[in-house]
Amino acid sequence: MRIITHTCSACGTVIAANELEDNRVMKCPGLDCEEVLRFTDLPEDARNHFLEYKEQYQI
Amino acid sequence: MKGVLLSGGTGSRLRPITHTGPKQLVPVANKPVIEYAIEDLEAAGITEIGVVLGHKGREEIQELLGDGSKYGVDITYIVQGNPVGLAHAVGCAREFVDDSDFVVYLGDNMLRHGVSDLLESFKTGDYGAGIALQEVSNPEAFGVADVDEQGTVTRLVEKPDDPPSNLALIGMYVFSPTVFDVIDRLEPSWRGELEITDAIQLLLDDGHAIDSHVVTGWWKDTGKPEDILEANRLVLGDKDLKMIGVIEEGAETDGRIELAESAVIEDGAVVRGPVSIAENTTIKSGTYVGPYTSIGANSTLEGIHIENSVVIGGSEITANGRIVDSLLGRNANVESADELLPEGRRLVVGENSQLKL
Ligand SMILES: [Zn+2]
Repeated sequence: MRIITHTCSACGTVIAANELEDNRVMKCPGLDCEEVLRFTDLPEDARNHFLEYKEQYQI
Repeated sequence: MKGVLLSGGTGSRLRPITHTGPKQLVPVANKPVIEYAIEDLEAAGITEIGVVLGHKGREEIQELLGDGSKYGVDITYIVQGNPVGLAHAVGCAREFVDDSDFVVYLGDNMLRHGVSDLLESFKTGDYGAGIALQEVSNPEAFGVADVDEQGTVTRLVEKPDDPPSNLALIGMYVFSPTVFDVIDRLEPSWRGELEITDAIQLLLDDGHAIDSHVVTGWWKDTGKPEDILEANRLVLGDKDLKMIGVIEEGAETDGRIELAESAVIEDGAVVRGPVSIAENTTIKSGTYVGPYTSIGANSTLEGIHIENSVVIGGSEITANGRIVDSLLGRNANVESADELLPEGRRLVVGENSQLKL
């Protein structure tokens, strides 16, 4: 199963795709980081893959 | 070598304690379980640590660990979100780990001798992974490894009816970055999770050598209340305990006692170690604190007999009775009902609490 993550460019915190997709737009969960992260920060092929197999990433 | 500390999970077996916080922050000998893991990694020379967070208690864990500088390590947070299995948690660490070998440590596990021996053994060969094993009397309840005389793993079986050995996998692994390609190929198991044992089995199937190290000191998964008490007993039995606080004249103390600077054992109290008493806690006259007990910060004990127990902190315990083998959550109070009518016990008990009266 392909695991899709995004790394915040400001603080290095790594966020799994399911978390980004849940929120669509979110403040970076890194400590004292003000960066805004979006599901659309992921490359298009990663987003498409995630949406296609979305049920695998839920529990 | 980097470290990946898995700190997700719901802590359901530790309710009600985990209704208000993550299981990794439950204290053992007055120190959160997860700090033992960070210290073990640091002691093995691993200072770059990725902490994988689930949903539960994410902020509390970040607040405690911070950027890691107070432990002499550098922490990167990895937000897994949905708990889709340990192999998924490990997979989320791919960008953090990059092309380094790395240790995976379960944040609610405690290991007496740390991870250094596992690492040393892994480094002696060209292994795809190294696993920690422990001899158990009930291997059918665990993932079990079959190993040759060099300690190289030949087979893994999950909860076997007919175990090939009594060597159970415990929650401690070393991986080469090859594991990420294997995790990419994993399918969710019957319970919908990516399983770490499936990843190791795939490495084996691909022809990678898997090292093993048999852990001889104690190992504890602190998932249940009785495990917390047992871990507390093991740590207090081993640990170097420092007595800094005040013991008043007329107090009776015996054995090894850890007493924080602002803690007081008053005249007329009896404390028999090994015991740990945290800051701003007072043991008043008429109280007995017996062996293998940890009393958390900001608590007052008066008149009670307590032993082999963990009081997390912020408690007033002033009843006239005996408390044994107990785990008391934060700010839980136990007072006397002696003067109250009608006679009887008065309880305000949260969901999933367990009482034996
Ligand atoms: Zn950030």
